[in-house]
Amino acid sequence: MQATILNGALPGDSFVDAVGAALQAALQAEGWTVTSWTLRDEKVAYCLGCFECWTKTPGVCRIDDTGRAVAASLISSDLAIYLTPITFGGYSSALKKAVDRAICLVSPFFTRIDGEVHHHARYARYPALAGVGVLPAPHAAQEQIFHTLLGRNAINLHAPTHNSVVLYRDQAPAAATLRNVYAFSGRVAA
Amino acid sequence: MTTPQTALLLVGSAKPAGESSSEALGTYLLERLATRGITTETYHVARALRTEARTQELLQAVDRAAIFILAFPLYVDSLPYLAIEALERIAAHRQAQGSPAPAAFLAIANCGFPESHHNDPALAICEQFAAAAGFAWAGGLALGAGGAVNGQPLAKAGGMLHNVVAALDQAAAALVADEPVPAETTALMAHPFIPTRAYMLMGGLGWLLQARQNRVLTRLGARPLT
Repeated sequence: MQATILNGALPGDSFVDAVGAALQAALQAEGWTVTSWTLRDEKVAYCLGCFECWTKTPGVCRIDDTGRAVAASLISSDLAIYLTPITFGGYSSALKKAVDRAICLVSPFFTRIDGEVHHHARYARYPALAGVGVLPAPHAAQEQIFHTLLGRNAINLHAPTHNSVVLYRDQAPAAATLRNVYAFSGRVAA
Repeated sequence: MTTPQTALLLVGSAKPAGESSSEALGTYLLERLATRGITTETYHVARALRTEARTQELLQAVDRAAIFILAFPLYVDSLPYLAIEALERIAAHRQAQGSPAPAAFLAIANCGFPESHHNDPALAICEQFAAAAGFAWAGGLALGAGGAVNGQPLAKAGGMLHNVVAALDQAAAALVADEPVPAETTALMAHPFIPTRAYMLMGGLGWLLQARQNRVLTRLGARPLT
């Protein structure tokens, strides 16, 4: 089973980095092969909104940098984990830069999912999607936004299943909490 | 003599200046504010974040503004990376000030899906930014089928966008009165101006035409990353 962790920690955020390392170790201990990207250290340009990955070089971004490798890592995985400090309820800029570059994984054409318009799948299978958001302290509104955003991303990425967890900086995550991040995907990967 | 208020538009699209629907929407609103005596200025996130000096210019522009407007395209259910980084920098800047100058913040989101509610998480994020950065939340305007604007100035837009124009007129009036945008205005902006089925059909044809021009029509469904 293959997992990809996109670590959206901003510079100096040792807590989120530690969560990422703990998640990787926990997954590996259970037999997963893990690719972890510390995005702030990677050369990932921002999405230009040109749509050439849909209409000129179908399925590949025109920008030849690590953003391509991150997208390939996502689509090759059974599980994708978005790890981020929660930023106004959403993802950090570091994580969002990579997520934006992954639109090449879907088709430009529209379809309906549960009555809503979304983009067609490009690939036959997609990873289960997990979100791990980190807050300084409980914040009901931002936590709700984070869970909603992760769920909406799961629909648009055609993830077969998804889960999201919020951690607080004053609590080192327990093993059971970490396992809760990815255990839901076991049925998918099996 | 009273110094006129300043309104700042930050365009959250990565497209070149003058080409994005976000800029078209925000510029129309700025024009309406200008007719009411408001001084206006416009920044683009791609340019403003390119160097530290330009980012400082943006932060100073935010400090000058009594009305701060962010217009952006929806990228993957949220704001584009560039807009998020700009908001991170602005929030940190204002938090460091302790008691930043009072100002209103309005967000305008447009998405490529026909349903405007795809923008809801992004606008909820904007509202949280306003609270974190000490702005008065003036509201969020959500537009579906944003591709139909196609970067064209709204002042020249046809009747199809009359609801959009009317909503921005109302938003300008609210901002000048130092009031949040009324619920009727957000509803007017969000009202579909093109049937969903027609938009899906036109959108699909548009992609096919572009692919044909690029000679990749038979490769549109390629799966190159596996």
